[in-house]
Amino acid sequence: MGVDKLLVKGTTPPQLDRELTVIGKPINRLDGYEKVTGNARYTGDLKIPGLLHGKILLCPHPRARIVKIDVSRAKELEGVKAVLTKDNTKGWLTYWYNVPQIALPECITYEGQEVAVVAAEDIDTAQKAVGLIEVEYEILPPMTDADEALTKPLPPIIADENYPLRDNIDRKPCLIERGDVEKGFAESDVIVEETYTTPTQCHATIQTRVCVANWDGQQLTVWDSTQGVWYSKGALAKSLGLEPEKVRVIVKYLGGGFGSKAWAQRISYYAAKLSMATGRPVKIERTRREEFLAHSHRFDCKFIIKMGAKWDGTITTIYEKAVLNIGAVSRYDPMSTIWQTSNLYACPNVHLEQMGVFTNRGTTGPLRAPYNMPNNFALESHIDRMADALGLDPLQFRLKNRATYPRTHIRPELKDKEMKLAFSSNKLDECMKKVTEAIGWERRKGGREASNGAKKRGIGMASFVAHQGGGGYPNNANADVSVNHDGVIRLYAGVVDIGGGQKTIFSMIAAEELGVAVDNIDVIYGDTEDTRYAPSAHSSRCTAEMGPPVLKAASEARQKLFEVAAKMLDVNAGELQSKNGDIYVKSDPSHSISFKKACLGIEPNNPIWGSGSREANPEDTLFSSFGAQAAEVEVDTETGEVNVVKIAVAQDFGKVLNPKLCTSQVYGGIEIGVGYALTEEGVYDKKTGKMLNSSFHEYKIPCSLDIPIIEPFFVESEDPGFAYSARGGAEVVNTPTPAAIRNAIYNAIGVWFNDLPITPDKIINAAQAKKEKVV
Amino acid sequence: MQNKRHIALSVNGERIESDIDIRMTLAEFLREDLGLIGTKIGCNRGECGCCTVILDDKAVYSCTILAIEASGRTVTTIEGLLNNGELHPLQSAFIEHDAVQCGYCTPGMIMSLKALLDREPHPSEEDIKTAIDGNFCRCGCYPNIVNATLSASEKMLQKGDESLNGC
Repeated sequence: MGVDKLLVKGTTPPQLDRELTVIGKPINRLDGYEKVTGNARYTGDLKIPGLLHGKILLCPHPRARIVKIDVSRAKELEGVKAVLTKDNTKGWLTYWYNVPQIALPECITYEGQEVAVVAAEDIDTAQKAVGLIEVEYEILPPMTDADEALTKPLPPIIADENYPLRDNIDRKPCLIERGDVEKGFAESDVIVEETYTTPTQCHATIQTRVCVANWDGQQLTVWDSTQGVWYSKGALAKSLGLEPEKVRVIVKYLGGGFGSKAWAQRISYYAAKLSMATGRPVKIERTRREEFLAHSHRFDCKFIIKMGAKWDGTITTIYEKAVLNIGAVSRYDPMSTIWQTSNLYACPNVHLEQMGVFTNRGTTGPLRAPYNMPNNFALESHIDRMADALGLDPLQFRLKNRATYPRTHIRPELKDKEMKLAFSSNKLDECMKKVTEAIGWERRKGGREASNGAKKRGIGMASFVAHQGGGGYPNNANADVSVNHDGVIRLYAGVVDIGGGQKTIFSMIAAEELGVAVDNIDVIYGDTEDTRYAPSAHSSRCTAEMGPPVLKAASEARQKLFEVAAKMLDVNAGELQSKNGDIYVKSDPSHSISFKKACLGIEPNNPIWGSGSREANPEDTLFSSFGAQAAEVEVDTETGEVNVVKIAVAQDFGKVLNPKLCTSQVYGGIEIGVGYALTEEGVYDKKTGKMLNSSFHEYKIPCSLDIPIIEPFFVESEDPGFAYSARGGAEVVNTPTPAAIRNAIYNAIGVWFNDLPITPDKIINAAQAKKEKVV
Repeated sequence: MQNKRHIALSVNGERIESDIDIRMTLAEFLREDLGLIGTKIGCNRGECGCCTVILDDKAVYSCTILAIEASGRTVTTIEGLLNNGELHPLQSAFIEHDAVQCGYCTPGMIMSLKALLDREPHPSEEDIKTAIDGNFCRCGCYPNIVNATLSASEKMLQKGDESLNGC
C-alpha cells in the first residue's frame, strides 16, 4: 500500500527513466570550503555600521512577581539608548511556536525569564546598565517537579493569569485506547510493571543564539539564528504588529539547532523591538550560561509501563502512563510519546496515557526526537525486561511482535478513529537483522560470565518507528527553479542549512532533474526575500517536505527547456532526455545539444520558471522511518564508567540521497543519544528550583573520547511520495540509542537501570548492592 | 589611557602593533580589532574549544588568554592556514570526509589538529581524539574528524617524501 504519486500539488512529474548521475552519490557538502576556511559568516560575525548592543536582565528566580522596577539609573548612563520593561511594553506578546508568551511579564515563571532589555553603544555599557536596574521581587516557592505538582490539590500559580492555552494542556491526559486492557492482563501468562525516568536535556548548540535586527523605518531586516526563516518572519511580524511583507529574515549559517532554534528566537523579538525604538541596528547575543537558563530544553519524563504477554512471546496488553514536565512554556504535542508505543508493536489491548504538567522548570520544546527518544528508552527497555521474564531472546521477541501496520494516526484529532493504516514503507525487520549481525548478537549469551575482572562486556539492542513530515500548515513547502538565457540556473528554497546539508541535498535534486552537475545550481536559501514559504529545518522534515516541491520545480523547468531545445534539434520535446549537461534524443543520444546552448533559446530577461508545492500527507497512510541499533558496552564495576565500544546502526530512511551526508547524520544522532544515556542531565536545586549546572564543565556533553565505533547501514525502501523515496534522517537516529546502551549494560552486569542518565555512581551502587546480596 | 597597553605580535605571519584595552581577550582582539572572524566564540570561558588558535606552537583557548599576553609571540588562526590560496591538507580532508556539519566548531577543531600534526606528524587515532578532547562538536562529526586527520597526516607525509625525493 502507500501512495503511488509524489506528494506535490498538481501532476506528478514524469520519471527520469534513466540512471541517476547525482542522487545517491557521495558529493561533498557545498559550503564545506567556507566552513573550513573560517570564511562562513554566521550572524555573530556581521559588522554593521551604527550597531547598538542589547543586553537582557534575566530573573534569577524560577517563580516570582515583580513588585517594582526602577530603571532610572540605567537610563542615565551615558551610551544607553533604550530600556524596555513591562511598564513600557504592555500587551506585547512573543511566540514560541504558536504559543503566545508575554514578552516582559509581571509574573516570572522560570529562572532566566526576561525582566528588562537594554540597548547601548557597546556591550560593556549595556551590561553595566542592566546591573543598574533595580528590581523588587516577591519571591514565591517554585514548583519544578512534575510529580510534586500533581500531588497539589490546585494547580500552582505558575504564569500570568492570562497565560493562554495553559488550561487546554495542563494535566489533561491524552489517551490512546483499544481492546480490553483488563481482559488482556487476565489472559497474560507474565505481567511486568516498571517505572522509568528520563532527565532534562539541553541542546548545547556550540553557537550561542545571536540576532542582529535593523528597522530602517520601512522594513525590518533580521539576521537571525533560527532553523526556519519563514516561521521566524511570521512570528516576528505578528509580535511587532507589522505586515509580514515588511519583515525579512536571513540565516546563511547556523551553528547548530537540534530543535532549539526551530522557531523565532526570544532574543530576536527584543532585538527587533529595540531597533524599532532606537532607529538603529541592534545585536543581542546570549552567553553560554544564558543559553542553559533561558532557552527551551527537553522535558524530563516519567513512564510507568505494565505489559502482559503469553509464554509463546505474544504481547497481549500494554498499559503506559507518561508524565512530561513541560516547564512554564512549551511547544507541546499531547500524544507524541505514546504514539510510538501504539505503532511499534502489534498489541490488541492498550491503554496509553500522556500528560503534560506545567511547572517552573524553564521552557521546553523540540530537541532531536523530543518525544520519541524518552518514550523509546522506556518502551525498548521494557521490551528487554519482558523478554527476560519470558526467557526469550530480545531480538526474536521484537521480530515476533513488531507492528506490520500502524494503529494510530499522528494527528491527535484522528486518534480515536479505528484505523488500519498503511506504513508508506517499512524495513524494520531487515534493520534489526543487520545490526544484530554486525554486533555479533550470538556473543550476547554467556558474555557476562566470560568477562574477566572488574570490566564487564555486554550487548543490547533497540528499535524504533518515527513519523516523517506532514506537509500541511505550518509546514507548507514551496520551491522554484529558474533557467536563464545565459545558462544560470537558480533554485529558490526558503530553508536554512542548519548543518544537515540542506543546501547540498536540494541542489542535488535540482541538478538530477535538470541533468546538470550540482555546482551548476545557484541556490537562494536561508532568506525570506525571493523565496516562497518553506518549513523550518526540524523534526527531520526538510527532506521529506522540501524534496518533492524541489523535484517538481526542477522537472517543470526542464520540460519547458525541452520545448526550446526541441525546436533547435527539430524533434518533439517528448523525445528528449537530459544528463550530465547535455540534452539529447532518447533514441539517438548522439543527436544532442548542450544544456548551456539550449538556454540561448530562452528569451533574454524572461527566464523559464518551474515551481513546486508540497501536498499534505494523505490521511490513510503513515509516513514513517524505521531503524534499529545494537550496542556493545564495557562496564567498569569499580569506577562505574561505561565505555560504549561499538554501535551498529541500521536505518530505513527510504532512499539515501547522499551517503556522505547521511552518515554524518547517523554520527550526530549517536552523539546526542550517548550523552542522554550516560552523562547529560540538567540538575536543579530542590528548594530554590535554580539550575545548578549551567556550564559545559558541569553539564556533560560527549567529547571525542566518548564516541564509540559506529557502523551504519542504510536499508533502502521504495516510497514514491518523496523525492527519489527519500525521507528525513536526522533526529530519528538517536531515538533507540539510550535503550540499546541500557540493555547492553544489563547484559554486562545483570542490573536493570530505569533512570537516565546511567552515571558511574548508579553503577557503583548497583554493583555494590549485588555483591552484598551474593555475600 | 591607563587601561591601554601597546602590543606587538605576529598574526598569521604578519606583524601587528596596536594599543589595546588590557582587559581584552585574544579572541576579542582577533575578531573585533583584526576582523579575523574565523575564530569563533562559543562559551567565552574556556569550555567548548571553538576559539582555539595556535600561540607559538601550542593550541590554546583564545577566550581565556588576554591579548596582552600574546604580545611578542606568534599567533596562527584558521585564516593563516591557506597557503597562496591553497587549502591546508587538514582543510581539504575535512571537506572530503565531511568532518563538518554546522561548521561552528570547525576552525577551532582544525587549529587543535594543526598543532597536533606540527608536533606529531604521524598521530594514532588515540592521539587525535586526545588532541581534540577539549573541542566540542555537538553535531557529532568526531569519527569523520578522526578519519580526516589520519588522511591529512598521510598526505602530508607523502608530500614530504616526494619533496625529499625531489632534492
